Amino acid sequence: MSDPTGPFEPRIVAFLCRWCSYAGADLAGVSRLQYPPNVVPMRVNCSGRVDAEMVLGALEKGADGVLIGGCHPGDCHYVSGNYKTRRRVALIQRALSEIGIDPQRVHLEWISASEGNKFQQTMIQYVERIRDLGPCPVVEATPAEAAPDG
Amino acid sequence: MAKAKIGVYWAASCGGCDCSLLEVNEQILDVADAADILLWPCATDVKYADLAAYADGEIDIVLFNGAIRTAENREIAKLIRRKTKLLVAFGSCAHTGGVIGLANLATREEIFTTVYGEERDRWPQLVADEGGRELRLPEFLEKLAPLSAVVAVDYVVPGCPPPREVVGQIFSALVAGNLPPAGTVFASSKNLCDECPRDRKQEKIARILRPHEEEPDPDRCLLDQGFICMGPATRGGCNAVCPAANMPCTGCAGPTANISDQGAAMLNTLASLVGTGEEGEDQLDAEDAILAQLDDVVGTFYRFGSAMSLFRGRYHERNRTSR
Repeated sequence: MSDPTGPFEPRIVAFLCRWCSYAGADLAGVSRLQYPPNVVPMRVNCSGRVDAEMVLGALEKGADGVLIGGCHPGDCHYVSGNYKTRRRVALIQRALSEIGIDPQRVHLEWISASEGNKFQQTMIQYVERIRDLGPCPVVEATPAEAAPDG
Repeated sequence: MAKAKIGVYWAASCGGCDCSLLEVNEQILDVADAADILLWPCATDVKYADLAAYADGEIDIVLFNGAIRTAENREIAKLIRRKTKLLVAFGSCAHTGGVIGLANLATREEIFTTVYGEERDRWPQLVADEGGRELRLPEFLEKLAPLSAVVAVDYVVPGCPPPREVVGQIFSALVAGNLPPAGTVFASSKNLCDECPRDRKQEKIARILRPHEEEPDPDRCLLDQGFICMGPATRGGCNAVCPAANMPCTGCAGPTANISDQGAAMLNTLASLVGTGEEGEDQLDAEDAILAQLDDVVGTFYRFGSAMSLFRGRYHERNRTSR
């Protein structure tokens, strides 16, 4: 996607619920709404399926930001999955703050199937926010700081 | 049958694991009859030179407790790996980094400043001159690591300290000469809740409590009562001794076999349980207020596992414009 020696291009993983946000991404696509290519969409059945291991795992494997798209409150196909995700994200963000990672690297957004425009705007803004933050320190720190032989 | 040759080593540890070996009481005498102790700094007078003089693979099994904190820990771990056929990560610190792994939430400089003060000439020097004699100290590594980060480990014995039943099992197997295949974890494959005697109803948590704030009901699930009990994310095998003594599990046995990150798994569990009863848009503020009652997210969910977690320690945002 990007030249590792060139200017920083954020790598964003977007976990999108299939009923709302992924459909919103589809709508953005068929509407020819352009958004940055830094986002790798992952379709999940429900935003409630996105657990902390997936989010931390994405950051550990090189993502600079993780965006979770779910249904608006009251709209969850499974009634309450989005509420569970909301609480989970709140705790993940606090854990990230405690280990020195900017909590904005994990972001939750409600995007419905009819909000292709909101999907586009969210992606544009989130990529810019992560571009301002710079590379996630987890991966770059691994060989030098975390490895015991370092 | 030739006597087994065994060793015990402590790296960065509190000594509790060595004590736990003696918790088997008279059984230790069977071990002494059946095995020669080639290395046990806590109990015998064996020097590193003696260890280095053993042939490679001469020792049959070494129980290694403590984490890798210093260059000495790392060096001896590698030396022991060469000298022993089987290496056991014994106890939480060797297994997951343990409580002392929380030191990875601070930098080495921060730790030294806290312990020795601001003046750097009071910090430990790797090489010091004492009346014309050169004294050397092993380096305090930037990050603490579990044993498996440095050398291959054959068995894991979780726990802080490992329960005496498990220590007894190992000694029995050792004395009988029928040790299990490499890769064995001496604990349950299920989580702690599976062996906990308490009654769990998976109730919503409307108030998060810490053990000093209220006396828990001895029969009801601690999570149901709002105490953060790590049982759902923690490997069983200790017969739930802490919940049985009315204390929440703190997670010393590490993650179950099915999860990679104990703290993340517990975070998921708690996030699902927190609530006022009804879930809805009008409850969001109330849910935030409950979550705010939780102090120290990482220290609670990763009390024993931060050095082995997905993030492994603390970082610093540098706001750089290139990788």
